[in-house]
Order: sequence, then C-alpha cells, then structure tokens
Amino acid sequence: MQRHDATSGLPRAPELPRPGLGSLRVLAWILVLGLIYAYGWRVTEINLVELATKWSLARPLLVDLLRPDLVARVPRIQLADAGVGLEGTPPPAPEVRRPAGQVTVTPANAAIGQPVTVSGSGFAPNRPVELIWKDQAGSEAAVGRLTTDAQGAFQTTLRVPDVIGTSNHVIARVTLEGTVLAPSNALRLTFFRMIETVFLALMGTTMAVVFAVPLSFLAAKNLMSRSALSLGVYFVMRTVFNIARSIEPLIMATVFAVWVGIGPFAGVLALGVHSIASLAKLYSEQIESIDPGPIEAITATGASMLQVVRYAVVPQIVPPFIAFTIYRWDINVRMSTVIGFVGGGGLGFLLIQYINLLQWRQAATAVWAITLVVAAMDYLSARVREKVV
Amino acid sequence: MRGAAVRIEHLTKIYPDGTRALHDITLNVAPGEFLVIIGLSGSGKSTLMRCINRLIEPTSGKVFVDDVEITALPPEGLRRARRQIGMIFQQFNLVKRASVLTNVLSGRLGYLPPAWALWGYFPRELREEAVRHLQTVGIPEKAHTRADQLSGGQQQRVGIARALMQDPKLILADEPVASLDPATSHSVLKYIEDLNRREGITVLCSLHFLSLARRYGTRVVALKAGQIVFDGLPREIDEHRFKEIYGEEAVEVEIA
Ligand SMILES: Nc1ncnc2c1ncn2[C@@H]1O[C@H](COP(=O)(O)OP(=O)(O)OP(=O)(O)O)[C@@H](O)[C@H]1O
Ligand SMILES: [Mg+2]
Repeated sequence: MQRHDATSGLPRAPELPRPGLGSLRVLAWILVLGLIYAYGWRVTEINLVELATKWSLARPLLVDLLRPDLVARVPRIQLADAGVGLEGTPPPAPEVRRPAGQVTVTPANAAIGQPVTVSGSGFAPNRPVELIWKDQAGSEAAVGRLTTDAQGAFQTTLRVPDVIGTSNHVIARVTLEGTVLAPSNALRLTFFRMIETVFLALMGTTMAVVFAVPLSFLAAKNLMSRSALSLGVYFVMRTVFNIARSIEPLIMATVFAVWVGIGPFAGVLALGVHSIASLAKLYSEQIESIDPGPIEAITATGASMLQVVRYAVVPQIVPPFIAFTIYRWDINVRMSTVIGFVGGGGLGFLLIQYINLLQWRQAATAVWAITLVVAAMDYLSARVREKVV
Repeated sequence: MRGAAVRIEHLTKIYPDGTRALHDITLNVAPGEFLVIIGLSGSGKSTLMRCINRLIEPTSGKVFVDDVEITALPPEGLRRARRQIGMIFQQFNLVKRASVLTNVLSGRLGYLPPAWALWGYFPRELREEAVRHLQTVGIPEKAHTRADQLSGGQQQRVGIARALMQDPKLILADEPVASLDPATSHSVLKYIEDLNRREGITVLCSLHFLSLARRYGTRVVALKAGQIVFDGLPREIDEHRFKEIYGEEAVEVEIA
C-alpha cells in the first residue's frame, strides 16, 4: 500500500528495512502473543478432547431440538350441559355452545344436599361419561362416572354438592374412541409469549422514541455550540448516553425485575432505557449532519421559523429517524427474546423455564419461535427501511 | 413589472472571529440592472449578497431595497421584505428528499397562512403556477421527481423556479453556475437574463468567469479584500484592470 504525506499529497519515500532490529521485534511480538494465547487457552478451560469424545452427551438434546413439541394427541370428546338453580333461583341457560347431546336435571330447582336426577341422551353409545358440577364461581368438581347405554343415553341420581352461589351447571363429558391432533400446550404458550415478545419490543421502542426525540436535540453539537451553557448540556447528554448505552439490557432487566416485579413490564423498561440512549445518539448524529443550505434558502424566501422547520429541517430528519427507529425495534425484538432469562417476560421467560425443567422438546418450540420472530422482523424492517429512506 | 432599486451605504461586516469581510461598501443598483459581482475567492461576494437580505447581519451600514431600509426592519418586517427578494445558490440548496414541485412551492411560503403550509396544503392555483414556472425553466415534466434525482443544471433551474414563485423584484444569485459545466452555465444564466430583460427584475449575480460577466452583465462590480476596486461596464475591464482585480499572476481563462 502506498502511503501519502498528508500535507504535500506526494507519496512518501519508503522506509528502508532494518533487517536485524526488525526481525527481533517480530520475534518479541510472536512470543508475547504466544503467552497471551497460552494463558487464554488455560483460563477458558479449552478441552478439545472432551469436545471430540463427549459429543454423544449432547445428542439427545440436539435431536430434541429438531423435534419441537408442536402438536399433541388429545381424546375426542362430546360435551353438553344443563343449568341448576339453587334456593329458588331459576336455572341458568346451558352454556356449552354446540352440545353433542341433551342433558336434563330434575328437579331443575333444588337445594344443597337434595338428590337430583341427571339424565342424558343423544351421545355416542357405550362410552364413558364424566359428570362435572360447575358452580357460579366457575370451579368444577367431578360428581360421577358412568357409561352410556346402547342408545347413547344415561341416567343417575346425585346429591347437590355444597357449593357457593345459586347458578350452577351440570356438564356431561363423553370420551369417544380415538384421538385428534391439536396444538400442544407448549405451542400455545409459545404463541402467546411470541406476541408478548413483539409487543414488549414495540412498547420499549416507543418509550425510547418519546424520550429520545427531544433529548437528541440537546445532544446535537451544531445546535448546542451557541453558548458555554448549551455546550455544557451537550457534553452531559453525550456522557449520559454513552454510559446508558454501555449498560447491557440484561443487567437493566435484572434491576427492573426487582423494582417492578418479574414480567414483561420489567423488559419494556430495560429495553426502553437502553434504547433511549442508542436512539438519541443516532438521532443527534442525524441532526448534526443536516445540510444548512435548504434552511438558508427557505429562510431567504421570507418563510417563518416554523415553516423553515417544516420544509427544510423535517424532510431532512424524519425519514432517517423512522429508519433508525425500525432498526431499533428489530434489535429490541431480538433482545426481548432473551431478556426473559432474567425475568423480563417474553419468549425467553418461557424458554428458561423449559430449560430448567429439562423439557428439551418444549424448549425447542420456544427456540424455533424465537428464530421465526427474529427472521420475520429482520425481513420486515429491511423492507420498510428500504421504502422510507 | 419593475425591478427594485438597491442602495448600499457604508456597509461593513466583521465576522466574530475578526475577519473583515466587507469594508465600507457603498453601491447603488438601478431597477432592472444585471449587476455582476466578481472577485477572488474570499473577496466578500457571498457576504455582500447575504447582507442584502440579512441572512448575515451586517456589522454597520445600511441597505435599502426600494427605499425600505432592510437593515432597520424588525423580524416580521424583514420576513415580509425577504418575500420579494429571490435567492439562487451555488449549491442549489434544494430540499433533496422533497419533490421538485414542493421545492418550487416553498418559494411562496412567506405569503401563506402558516397552518396551510404545516399541513403541506397548497391551493390548486399555486400548484398550477408552480408548474408554469417549471415550464419557464424548461422542466415541467420533472414536477413529481425527487429533487435529488435531477442533474445539477436541472436542480439550479428548480432553484430559479423557486425564486420566481416569490414573485421577486430582486434576485440575488450567488455563483449560480459555479458547479455547472460551461454549456449548462449558459443555459441557466440565460433564464436569469430572460427574467431580467423581460420582466425587469433587478439581478445581482456573482460570477467566477470574466467572460460570463462580460456576456451577461449590464454592469460589473469587482471586490477585493472586502472593498470595491472596480465599478463600470463589462467592456471596460482590460488587461490592466484584470490584473488589479485578480492579482499580477492571474491569467484570464475563457469559458465557451
Ligand atoms: N462565517 C464566517 N466566519 C468567519 N469568517 C467568514 C465566515 N464566512 C466567510 N468568512 C470570511 O469572510 C471573507 C469573505 O468570504 P465570502 O464567503 O464572502 O467570500 P466570497 O467572495 O464569496 O468567496 P468565494 O468565491 O470562495 O465564495 C473570507 O475571508 C472568509 O474566510
Ligand atoms: Mg461565495
């Protein structure tokens, strides 16, 4: 590579090699580097033998990672119910939406301890029935087990259990032959946590934008170098941002989880505070790079201060602000997937629980969901930024 | 339409760092003149132009445009006065992310109710007028293009159209063609000359090339270190005068 003298712009005469001294220096450097890496090898306990021989320990885990828990086989059931009123209250209407058969309770008005007859018809023949008493508070208790007859009907007598409230239901649950595929519990939980994750990032980013926009003006050198006081504010802002940016969101989340309790709100706060600093820095750099030309030109037309801001400043900063914000949201989605490890809610919270319980297939569901969310956000944010700028 | 008269009296500008950019300038410009200002880089051409519409505050002295003392105006009065003074810049100074049409329309902001402009609302007649001005400078088809997608010459024409939108009596053009090639320079200057000749708009225009000054100016003023060293007709600048303005070693270069 050619080196140029900064003042003259002419190539500088190449330095003559000094063989003896040069190679000695190289040798010394090699020695120092060798020592550094030797120590690094020991201190990080690198063990290639273990890596090569014990891979089978990780095998079930890796295999489970490839078989996430997505669907479960659940028994097919038939449901129907009937209302029972206690202490003179009229019986409530049945609440099962598409009942498979018909259930009647006689008398439909009863008192605690009184025997009532429960009969059902229209169900599958010769299948087990479970009778469930559901009280006004929604708690359910099993009150009987029997089997439907060849016509798909059943009848039994039971005593009204000691419940609170007057509005009750008796539910008949008939289990059919065979099973159906349904989303597994892990998949359902993961799905809700996934939504929580995206919104966690959205709220954190929004919070950051609200604070970062005004603060960024205080951290823009071109605006703040008018007086000693404003310059002082500028340096304080810059310093605060730099410090805030260097604190990992995971550490902030730990603090906030203690402060406001474990959950997504702690994550929102952690991501928000961290993002204020990084967004304010990006914004202020954008403000610093504003071209004064259009401002001068619009001022010269006799436009008011507000109009100058609207026509000469806003077009220069708003599109990049939007681009930075989406970029930040993208990063925050990434971060919000792990912020749950320390109590910040979202997918990470679920993942760490599965890992602690050694439920690898469920953990795999969360891992794949994280991958999916991050990739989708990545793609979306790239597309939107492309459009805006 | 008649152009404005400009009267400058004992104008001095000393920058905060002590640079004396203008030193006791006195100058009268008659309505309808095409006054070309020449001078070496750093001689104070831009400072003089910007003192006229007070983009730069003069240190002392007075500027009159049509008997209105610009230098004595309060902020609101200055804003009104600026509406009739169009300005054209070397770097065009367009809002790059905005459309050509919006750039042209922004020349009219000073006349509009603030709320309209904040919503980005311009009445239909104004938009039609903006397109007419784009027609005048020969690029009506670019109305909906983003300003930063135009060539330099086209951008400067948008700059002229923006100034026209102000319905100006006076145009200040600070090296309007310094970043353009010779052919484009001529076409841009011809548009400005047209406005000067047909509509009688007074033009103050700084230029780097003497040949352009000779071709377009009805009068030439030369600045050197913030003072006027020549004031006369373009053809009066001979070899001797040239060396006075630009220094002994300077050699005149022609622009086609
Ligand atoms: N903002 C400023 N602060 C301090 N000095 C300045 C400032 N602007 C210009 N000057 C100085 O004032 C003098 C005149 O500058 P001006 O820009 O008016 O010259 P010019 O004739 O337009 O030059 P050019 O042909 O290079 O544009 C120069 O010495 C310049 O360095
Ligand atoms: Mg200049």
